[in-house]
This record gives sequence, structure tokens and C-alpha cells, in this order.
Amino acid sequence: MALSGIQIYKLLPQTNCKECGFPTCLAFSMKLAAKQVELSACPYVSEASKKQLAESSAPPVRLITLKANGAEIKAGNEVCMFRHEKTFYNKPGLFIRVKASDPDLAAKVTKADAYKVNYVGMDFTVDGFAVEADGDLTAAVKAIRAVSKRPLILISTDAAALDSALGLLAGEQTLIYAADSSNYEALADTAKKHKAALVVKGDSLDALADLTPKVQAKGVEDMVLDLGGKNLGEWLTRSTQARRLALKSNFKPLGYPTIFFAAQNGVEKEAVYAAQAISKYAGFVILDTFAPEMIYPLLVLRENIYTDPQKPIQVTPGIYEINSPKPESPVLITTNFSITYFSVANEVEGSGLPAWLVVTDAEGMSVLTAWAAGKFDAERIAKAVKGFDVASKVSKKRIVLPGHVAVLSGELEEELSDWEIRVGPREAVDLPAFMKQALN
Amino acid sequence: MPIEIPKDKWPGKIQSVTIGAAAAEGGTRTKSITIGGQTCMPYLHYEAPMPNRPVIAIEIKSRKPDDWSSLLAEVWGDAMNDPAQWAKKAEEAGADLLVLALTLADSPEDAVKAVKAVLGASGLPLVVWGPGQAEKDNELLVPVAEAAKGEKLVLGICEDKNYRTIVATAMANGHLVQARTPMDVNLSKQLNILISDMGMPHDRIIMDPTTGALGYGIEYGYSVMERLRLAALQGDTMTQQPMMVTPGFEAWKTKESKVGEGVPESWGDWKARAINWETLTAIALVESGADIVVLRHPESVKRVSEAIGELISV
Amino acid sequence: MEHTVIFTTEDNKTATVTVPTNTMLADAAHIAGIDIGQPCGGQGRCGRCAVQVTDGNVRRRSTLRLSPADVEQGYALACQTVVEGDVSIYVPPQEKIERRLTTDRVVAEVTVPADYDYDLAQSIRRVHLQLTPPTMEDQIDDWSRLQTAFRLQANMQNVNCSLHLLQTMGETLRAGEWQVTAVIERDIDNPDKPIRLIELYPGYVDEYSPLWGCAIDIGTTTVSLWLVDLISGQVKAQVAEYNGQIARGEDVISRIIFAGKNGGGQEMRQRVLDTINDLLETACKRVKAKPEDVMKATVAGNSTMIHLLLGIPAGSIRLSPFITAVNHPPLMTAKDVGINIHHEGTVDCLPGVASYVGADITAGVLSSGLERAENVTLFIDIGTNGETVLGNRDWLVTCACSAGPAFEGAGVMNGMRATQGAIEEVWISNDTLEPTYRVIGGGKPKGICGSGLISLLSEAFLTGVIDKAGNVNLTAGSSRVREGTHGGEYVVAWGAETESGEDIVMSRVDIDNLLRAKAAIYAGFTVLADTVGIPLETTDKVLVGGSFGKYINVEKAVQIGLLPDMDWPRFEFLGNTSVKGAYYALLDWRKRERITEIAKRMTYVELSADNSFYEAFTSALFLPHTDLSKFPSVEAALHKA
Ligand code: SF4
Ligand code: FES
Repeated sequence: MALSGIQIYKLLPQTNCKECGFPTCLAFSMKLAAKQVELSACPYVSEASKKQLAESSAPPVRLITLKANGAEIKAGNEVCMFRHEKTFYNKPGLFIRVKASDPDLAAKVTKADAYKVNYVGMDFTVDGFAVEADGDLTAAVKAIRAVSKRPLILISTDAAALDSALGLLAGEQTLIYAADSSNYEALADTAKKHKAALVVKGDSLDALADLTPKVQAKGVEDMVLDLGGKNLGEWLTRSTQARRLALKSNFKPLGYPTIFFAAQNGVEKEAVYAAQAISKYAGFVILDTFAPEMIYPLLVLRENIYTDPQKPIQVTPGIYEINSPKPESPVLITTNFSITYFSVANEVEGSGLPAWLVVTDAEGMSVLTAWAAGKFDAERIAKAVKGFDVASKVSKKRIVLPGHVAVLSGELEEELSDWEIRVGPREAVDLPAFMKQALN
Repeated sequence: MPIEIPKDKWPGKIQSVTIGAAAAEGGTRTKSITIGGQTCMPYLHYEAPMPNRPVIAIEIKSRKPDDWSSLLAEVWGDAMNDPAQWAKKAEEAGADLLVLALTLADSPEDAVKAVKAVLGASGLPLVVWGPGQAEKDNELLVPVAEAAKGEKLVLGICEDKNYRTIVATAMANGHLVQARTPMDVNLSKQLNILISDMGMPHDRIIMDPTTGALGYGIEYGYSVMERLRLAALQGDTMTQQPMMVTPGFEAWKTKESKVGEGVPESWGDWKARAINWETLTAIALVESGADIVVLRHPESVKRVSEAIGELISV
Repeated sequence: MEHTVIFTTEDNKTATVTVPTNTMLADAAHIAGIDIGQPCGGQGRCGRCAVQVTDGNVRRRSTLRLSPADVEQGYALACQTVVEGDVSIYVPPQEKIERRLTTDRVVAEVTVPADYDYDLAQSIRRVHLQLTPPTMEDQIDDWSRLQTAFRLQANMQNVNCSLHLLQTMGETLRAGEWQVTAVIERDIDNPDKPIRLIELYPGYVDEYSPLWGCAIDIGTTTVSLWLVDLISGQVKAQVAEYNGQIARGEDVISRIIFAGKNGGGQEMRQRVLDTINDLLETACKRVKAKPEDVMKATVAGNSTMIHLLLGIPAGSIRLSPFITAVNHPPLMTAKDVGINIHHEGTVDCLPGVASYVGADITAGVLSSGLERAENVTLFIDIGTNGETVLGNRDWLVTCACSAGPAFEGAGVMNGMRATQGAIEEVWISNDTLEPTYRVIGGGKPKGICGSGLISLLSEAFLTGVIDKAGNVNLTAGSSRVREGTHGGEYVVAWGAETESGEDIVMSRVDIDNLLRAKAAIYAGFTVLADTVGIPLETTDKVLVGGSFGKYINVEKAVQIGLLPDMDWPRFEFLGNTSVKGAYYALLDWRKRERITEIAKRMTYVELSADNSFYEAFTSALFLPHTDLSKFPSVEAALHKA
């Protein structure tokens, strides 16, 4: 169980010596409770306290890292059932399944590997490939490594084939799929030899919980669970139970991330299956289809679900078009705090009125907060208006300032001397009425 | 030794709400729909049975909308010009209930006519939305509520600044209300309190916590719904209303769905993407506790419906 | 049956009436020509009509607001009590009742701390010296002569003085015929440090005549000043006024921004100096002293206010990483600072902790006694910056949140400070929605002060004039409720009753401001308690500070969700804790040291670090709170209503 600030404080020296960089021991313990500092910053913690604090902070779901020379992807280390409780930390890796027997293997991998899509200023890609050993695995791995540097999952239960393929992947961290009660000994040996992670498969949680300690006893610590389950409902149940056992009961045998095959019941269900896996705790999601029209929404969903709810996302600063604005349409100003942006954009969009929305870089703060912190002032607004070359898009040089920062209008007039500055309403809801009445 | 699965035993229960009244109950619907009644988080059947499945509504409009994506116009065709036709097609497409959105161009007479036409064409329970401007909403919804007295319609949309008139007319005419608040747990709860304070029984309030589309703030809607559901199960009576959200409306507003040209190649095929956008928005919300999702495209309806089927049949 | 009722009032007036059984005491009093105020209109809710039955039989229908001990002593509510035999009734004065009511927290009278000892604790001293006059044989210069006298007669080895004093010294010595009274300042902790000569008066000044000092609290909204006789330790005058900087912005952020503009800093400084100097003048007039007789000013205030007072650029306070120029300014002289006490007098600005936890809070922690509390105690300052401190003698955490000036009566259309003419309490009848109110000083109302606003908001809420979200219910069915220029409003006093002739109202905008203020404060202390992992219910005491006249009605403050719903006895109202802390520091050097210690011990919690404050704020932005289960007593009151 995580300790509260006061509980941690009681384990500290309480001398307020400031060596940790904080003014008081209590300040330090609150940072510690929020996991924003390392305990080692305090040189005076007793051994007993150290032990107690370490126990309270061990991650209930083991962190698994898959790594190649070009990229890595992590799963595990999660601490909550619902994202609002804290956050979901490690985004599930999206892996594309390819077949060793496929004559187009290299071309397919090349294409998927090159895929890149931009979402609010971030570039997303697929995370790696899962190679089905229905042909020569080693040759397939060699072919893939010629065109891609992303982590791999090897789907094979043939220890010898795996051994040979893994021999090509020295220095990488690969995942082997999958050990069950019949073959785990051989696969565990292979995994151990190559420092690979191993998927453990069972048709019930009981079976899995039975198997993981055995694999561990063989010297493999890095495991991933395949929970089975015949459909969405069953997988959801198992995924929830496994996560809950790990988190709430500190049940170590199931304290591993999971892997999920999205096309197991047909490619027509793949998108929906993958969507559930992304929101409901999967560590790795395997896709059979490489289709941008599916990958893109899945990547966005993953980004959204794994956004830290304590730190809402920022919108990329820029000029946004709402309801196909024309040169004479009004220019509205707001900040790049996503909730602020969405509420303004939604209101205007809902009203059907065309407008240009200039989103300034206010470091992700709302209008008032940003203003208070000096991140939304006349200078920054003027910079945005000039930087995005708003003047070239409009015929009427008039901008509408959020009502909360009416005080900025004077300065802004100085900064943007050829613009008319209008003070709009304080709340986004009042924007449509304002645009109709005051801007005509 | 079998593992002991930790189970949550919640003190609270989601309010059951029935929409639509058949002849015996004073209306003309061929079936009514009941949602809510859950006593655990969504689809955790090992904790408690799920008494009612989430349902899908299809949104139609009293007049052909001129701002809808051409992909939607393509699939609904001429039916969009006639709410009765549209309602029939929506029922065929698998809707469990219908949402009829009135428009600013409607007069009170037009509104009543459209509602009557839809009620005549389909036996499904009906939700009626005003055009979304306080005064106009009140002007249209009051006569609609009176004309459809006893049908157990859902009248929308109540917001914290405009709820009194709609609630009063719903109470007087035996309807339900949809209470919408902008993606905030507290605001949802507050509006429920305000509406209940007027004397509206809890089995006639559906809350709409609002959502963003995939890529446009869905995470807020998603978490707000999870939090509302958790609060409800913990026994907070003012969050125990079933939840209704509008992924169709939200998803079809996005550039990803609306536009086929001039977008990055990495977005892939337009139509497939647009439907994925609506479907995935809806699925995420179904996972987080939606009881009604309002959709627009028949293909999304089919896929979401199948997914719900898998989620409830364990 | 008829009974005799004898009323006695404070001034020993008696009146006797004969009334039938079951006559209400209030009615009997009315017949007897005795005025018993009934603020709540005789609903048994306010408790203001309490009287004492000294003899005979009555039946009490309700004793709400009276403690069992009071009932034991014969107290009864005149509007809820009927005559059942011959009785004698004592009608106490209003102030006495207030102090008795279980809901009221009257600010404690300021008393001189029991341990105050002028000789041991006070750094300012008056010293009488008798110099030997110079002669042709004794050619020592005046200054050395004075120093010798200090050495021999006062045991002061090392005395410094200013050029200004040197310029007038000769004249003073001779005018007093070599008898002088010196005012000096010493550092009690470091006797070796030079002693500073502040003033020389010719002749002997009466030992018992006052030696003046003043304690000042510069609030964002209100500036308070206490004039203190340093010899007896007594507070001789208390004055307060709005901070003149308000004209340049209501909150600290706007002030900082204004001060950052060309000439803005100078203007801000001048504005607050004007306010302080006006207050000083008023206070001195009251005790027939002159500002230049005041030898020391101890100043508390939030960090921004102190920076602006001293003309130090405050811009970095507002900007990440939120660093002040100085948390603990050195001692200064009044002429440098610009405060019109004695120009050589000392100005001591108390130490703060951080940008948003200033000396007002460290001083408040001292005067509230929180730093010595055994059990976890919550200290809430209901002011513009909503500072809160939680802790005990082992640890202290603090936070600040922008609550705005509503509870100080500013930023509200008919708001005012708690002075003469302010409506300080309002009751609204459940049936008629008609209000009754009480005005400070008893005259015509001029506006509504903080406590009046709290009680008004609570009454409007409980009687359904406004809904839980603060929307005015225009269909409530009373002419008092109407559409105003800023949305719905409620008329508390018609123009005919008021001083200005204009209606006094509470508008939708006012309600929003009050809701935001109370929500910010409530959210502040709940999040603070959460951050350290202390359940609010486990706090032993809740100490409330703030510039509310002389009292706060705890019940009403709980009903609007400003204070947590706890048993009333757990609350204590301390008034302006900041100026009180400054007063203690002014008197006693050891207490001054303790404030420095407190500043070192406090841990500041930044509320905007994550979403939890915003969450808590929106949930508190409702009456009394979105989560009614946190307010069981209000839930019960609503059920009754
Ligand atoms: S270094 Fe350790 S003992 Fe010193 S203040 Fe920090 S936490 Fe306290
Ligand atoms: S209680 Fe008697 S008048 Fe209010």
C-alpha cells in the first residue's frame, strides 16, 4: 500500500536539515508520496525506514521491456484499475503479425515499419512485429532485421528454432510466444539463455497462476500473460481479475503484463477487440491487419487513454478553422489547454458560425491560470498572431480576446497596432451569442 | 488451489429507467426499453448479473441536415428528407430506440408534426432533442411534450442554465429528461440534484455526462463516466442515473470522419476510418459505463451492437 | 387564567403586564412596551430573542440555539415560549445574547498577553537621564556627555544616533535643563549590539504616559492597524480600511502586473502608504496622540503586499518558479519605508515562507496558538487569499488559494466592510420570503458585510430563494425576487429603509462571487488535508480568522459550505489573526523570534500542482456542496424546511 505524506514523514528524521533540497522533511515526504523524488535524496533515512518505504513502493505489475537496436517498448508497472486514480503508465505496444512463410514478408514489414502518423504534434508508429514461425523463423528474422529495427515477438514453441532465431537478436530484448504447461521447461531454458521474455499461456487464471512460479523457478523473471478467453466479455473479465489480483491482493503469480491477439475472432472484429484491449489493461496488442484507417484510430485511442489525467494534454498552438471560415470571419484567441480549446471550439462549432481560432502557446494552461502565470500576455498573443500569419488569412483585422483577460486589451493594441481588439465573453458558452450580436 | 478472486461488493445500485410506454402504459410504443439496474462495474458478471444491456439509439433529424458528412447522406439517402422514413430505416438498421433532433428552422407546429410522424412510423421508444438554444428548446419541447403525453419520451437537453421548463413539462406529461453537463463529475451530479429538487423522480432522469470524440477529449468523457459509475456504486444516490452519450454526434464532427480529401495519407481509407472513428469512440464509452450510445452510421450500429452482445453474454 | 409577567431590562427598568395562559412571551413583552428584537421573525431559528426566566413557570416549545446549560439557567426564546403562571423575566442586552448562542463565535477581546513584561520583552524603551551640565572645567561635548549618562545611569554601553538627532540634540538637552527622556531600541538577544537612539525629549516624560507602537496587517483587501501602548501592552485603538490598491486590481496577481508597468510600482507603494498613514492618523486622533509619537511599526501581510509596500519588484512572485525577492526583510526606519510614524522609528516586517505564504500567515499561526497545539488543528483564514494551515506542534502545512475579496465585502455590489451601517445578519421568513436584518450600530443600512453575506446566502438557500447552484428562483413568488441588470436578484432592503435611498440587493453576480470564494476556501483546506493524508474529521479544532466585524455565525457558514460540518464547539473565531500576531511580535521580542521559527517549520503545498484542487473546487461550487453527505447537519435542516 502506498503511504500518505504524513505516514512517510513519521519515518523520516524530522530535522528539517534541508539537504534533500526541500525546506522541511514534510515537504520531502509529500513529494515522495507523490513519487516525484527518490528516497535516496535524503542521506539520513534509517535502514528500517528504508525497508518499509521500499516495500510500500514495489510495483505490483512487473515492468517488461522489449528492445531492439532502434526502439523499445515497455509494459507493466501499472498501479491502478482506473486511469483517473493515478494514470496508466506504459502504453500497450501495437505489434503487427507477419508470417515467416509469407513471400512478401520484407515488403510488408518495410511498409508497416515506415508507417508514421501525426496526432497533435506527436508522431506515432507501430511498435514492432510478431513473427509467426510457419516457415523458417531464422530466415524470417534475418529478413525483418534487414528492413526494421523494431522489437520482435517470436511466435513458436520450437525451442531449437527459437534458439537459432534469437541467436540473431543478441543484445535485444525479445518476447517468445508462448509457454504452456506442456512445453514451459524447454522454452524457459531458451528464454533464459537469450534473456528473452516469455509469454505464459493458460486457459484459466488458475492455470496461469500455477505456471508462472514454475517458469520463474527455471530462472525466467520476465513474463507476459496470455489470458485466453473466447470473446470480448470473457477477456474483459480475466483481464480485470488479473489486474485486480496483482494490485489489490498483491498476488505475484499474476503480476505481469498481458498480451492480446485482436484478430482471434476474425479481422472484421479486430478494431473493436483491439480497442477494448487498449482500454482494459493489455500490455501488448497483436494486429493481423496493417491498415492505416484502423491503426491510426487505435494509436489515438491509446494516446488518449494513457494520457496522464492529472496533466491534461495540450493542443498544438496554431490557427484552427472552425466551420470553414472566410476572410471576413472573426478571429478568436484562446490558450492551448485542451479543455479550454475544446470548450471554445465546441461552442463555436455547435453554433455553426465560422471563425478562425488562434491557439496560443500558454504551456497548456487555461486562460486565467496562464494569465496569472504570465504565459498568456499581450506579447505572447501578438507573437502568435504574427507567427501564424493570421493577417494573410483575413480581410478584417479584428481579434476577440477572452473576457477574463480584458485587461490585456490596451497592451495588445500597442503590440498589434493595425488590429482592432475586441473583448469577448468570459465563458465559452456565451461566445455564439457574442459573435452574433457584437461582431456584426 | 484455485485463486480467490477479489470481488467488489458495492452498496449502491444504478437506477433502472424505462423509456417508452406501450398502449397498456398509456402510450403507443410497441416496446419499451429498460436500462440501468447494475450493481457492479460494467460487464463484470462474476460480481453481479447485468440486468439490462446497454442500448443503441440512432439519431435522425426533423429536416435534412446540411452539415452532415456525405458518407452519412450516402447511406441514409432520401430518407433524410422525411423523418418518418428515416425512423423506419433506422429501426431496420438495428436501433433500440430513436433520437429525433429538432432544428432551429422548426416552428412548434413543425416540431409536433415531426414527432408525431416518427411515433407513427416506428414503435421504438423516442428521445426528442431541442435544437440546442435555451429559448428555442423550451418553445419547441413544451408543445411536443404535451402532444405526446404519456409516451414516456426522453426530452433533451436539460443543462444547468436551462432545466426548469423542460423538467416541468416532462413532469406534467409523463416524460423523462436527459440531463447534460460538460464532462465533469461534479457538474453531472449537481444537475441531477437540481432536477430532483424540482420533484422529478429518479427513474425519469438520464444523465448525459458528455464526451469528446476519439482524439478530441474522449479521455475526459471516459474517466468522467467511470468515476460517476464508481460513485454511484459507492452509494451516492445523485450519480445513480443511467448514462447516455453521443459518440455519433462527436465522432462525425471530427475532421477524421467528416473529410475525405486533403488529409494525410497515413489516415488511410476515408470510409473505413470514419466508421472506425465512430465505432471506437462508442466502444470506449460502452466499456466505461454508457447505457445508451447515440450513433449515426448503420455500420457502426452493427459493430457496436455485436460487441455489446459479446460483452453481456458470458 | 390570567398571569402577571414582570419584565426587567438591563438598565433596571421594569414593566408589568397581565396576560392569559399560553401568551407568548414576545407578545407579553410587546404589550408591556419592551422591545425584544426578533430577527428571524419569530421562527425560533435565530435565537436572538432569548430572555431569562428568573422566576415562575413557562413552557418552551423550542430551545434551538440555546445550550442545555443556558436552559438550566432559565434562558428561553421569547418567540417560542408561553406563559403558564406568574413569571419574572430578565431581558438581557443583545451583545450578551450573542455571546451565549451556540451558533455564534464572537471574536475574543484582545487582552494583553499574561506574560508581557515591558522590562524584559520590549525592545523599545524610554530612558530618563539626568546629565551633569557642562562647565568651564567640564568641557565634554554634548554627545559624549549623553553617552556617559547612558552608560552610568542606564547601563547602556554602545548607543548610536542619527545625524538628525545630533542636529537637535544640543537644543533638547538645554531645553530640558540637562534632564532628558530618550527613546531607544535595543536588541534584547544581543546586548552587545549597538543601541539605537530614536528620539530625545527635553525633561522627564511621565513614566506611565503611553509609549506608542503600532501593529499593521496589510491585507490584499483590508488594511488593519492597532495602536498599542508598549508600556502597558494595551491596544488603545483599532482601525481598518480597504487597501487603496484595490483601485488597481482586486487580487494580488493584478496588482503585481500593474506594479510591473512603468511607474506602477511607485503608485502601488504610494497607495498602500496612503491607506496606512490615514489609518495611523485616525488611530492617533482617537487617543490624542500624534503619528510621530509612534516609535515602532510591526508589519504583517502577504508577500506581495510586503513587496509592494517596500517598493520591491514583485514580478517573480507570480512567475514560475515563484520566488520572492525577500521573505524576511531587515529592520528598517520609518522614513525609508514611508510610514508616518516617528521618522527614526523602526519598521519591522515579519518573515514569510514563500510567494503565497506570507507574514500574515506566520503571524496568524503564532497568534492562533496553532504552533503549540497538541492535536491536529485547522486554521482557516477567510480572506482574499484563502490561506489555510493544518498541523500541530510537530508539523505545519499550509496552502493558499485565490478566494477573492467577497467575504471582506469587496467585489460585491452592495458589499462593505464590517463597520457602522453594515447589515451583519439576515433572516428570511420561510413563508413570506421577507427578510429581517441587523445593522451594525443600529442605524439605516448602507450595505452588507462579510458575515451579513454569509447569513444572507444561507438564508436565501434554505428558503428556496436561490437553488443549490445559486440560480435565483424568479418564480418564488415574492416582489423581493426580481430580474436585475445582472440576472436575478434578491432585495434585502428597499430604498426607503436604506441610508442611500437605493435598494440593497444580492445579485446573481454577487452570488457567483460568494460561491467561488467559499468553494476556493473549502477546496483549499480539504485538498490540504488530503495531501498530507489527514481526514478532516480528525482535526481537533477549527480556528477561523478573517475580517468579519466581531462575530461569525458558524451555523450559517457551515450551511453555505464555507466551513466543514462539525460540532459547533470545535470552532473558534479569532478575528484578524495577522494583525494580532503582529501585535504580539511588537510587544515581545521572544514572540517575534517564534514567528521566524514558524516560518522555518512551515511546509507549503502548491495546490495547482495537479487537478485535485480544481476537482474539489467544482464540487464545492454548490450549496452547500455537491456531496451533501459531507454536510449532514445541512441535510437535516433542508429536510425540515
Ligand atoms: S534531507 Fe532528510 S532529514 Fe534533511 S530535511 Fe530532507 S528529509 Fe529531512
Ligand atoms: S428565535 Fe425568536 S425571533 Fe428568532
